[in-house]
Amino acid sequence: MTNITFTMLVSALIFTLGACGVLLRRNPLVQFMSIELMLNAVNLAFISFSGSLGTSEGQVFVLVVLTVAAAEAVVGLGIIVAMFRKRKRIDVDDIRSMEG
Amino acid sequence: MEEVVLIVAGVLAVGSALGVVLLPNAVYSALMLLLNLFSLATLFLLLHAQFMFAAQLLVYAGAILVLFLFVVTLLNPDGENILRDRRRLQQAGTISLGLFLVCLLVGALLFAFTSGPQPALASNVTVNNSTYGTVEEFGKALFTQFLLPFELTALVLLVALIGAVVLGKRR
Repeated sequence: MTNITFTMLVSALIFTLGACGVLLRRNPLVQFMSIELMLNAVNLAFISFSGSLGTSEGQVFVLVVLTVAAAEAVVGLGIIVAMFRKRKRIDVDDIRSMEG
Repeated sequence: MEEVVLIVAGVLAVGSALGVVLLPNAVYSALMLLLNLFSLATLFLLLHAQFMFAAQLLVYAGAILVLFLFVVTLLNPDGENILRDRRRLQQAGTISLGLFLVCLLVGALLFAFTSGPQPALASNVTVNNSTYGTVEEFGKALFTQFLLPFELTALVLLVALIGAVVLGKRR
């Protein structure tokens, strides 16, 4: 089990769980956490292949994904807080329009 | 020994991902996400990606997760029990989609890695005494070959900063 198959299987399972979490949950905060799960699964896949090939390219990709995840969390949480300020309740089913 | 830690961290990562999706309270989901990030950081360390291990802990566990916990406790959303959700059709669709995705990914992986030679875990790294994964090696790649993507991450962060200020502004 010390070959790359194990980490790739872990990555595939976490990615699937994240995708299911986005679809199952109605709370946008937990949906964001599920998106972070998916991004992390992809990071693990990148690092596995990077280690297996012995080059740094995969790690540079992971750094970019990390930056995008941070930016996405900031903007997404900002949107959720703005939504809460307007409606006092957070549920993704309530959102039907993108009015400012 | 290394193998045991690898398997424990992998199982813990999948279990905590399950916890994020299934636990009713959003605070517990956030704490499960923390456990997931820690186990993935352990896996990164076992894959000899030391810099990524540190970055994972600092950026994800240190910054993003604290932001998540802050917003969860600020908004204090009601717990939702997905077992008592009335949208049965949607749930059935999600679960069948998840099973399909698992079958597809696991099947593809097993097919790819059992038919050919199995790539070992960080094999080139341990044998020839290489500097793979160290900050030196990573920095060299980042500032020579991948300078443009690195500069673009600065732009992404700037856009996120401006977006957060605009969204947080009270009218």
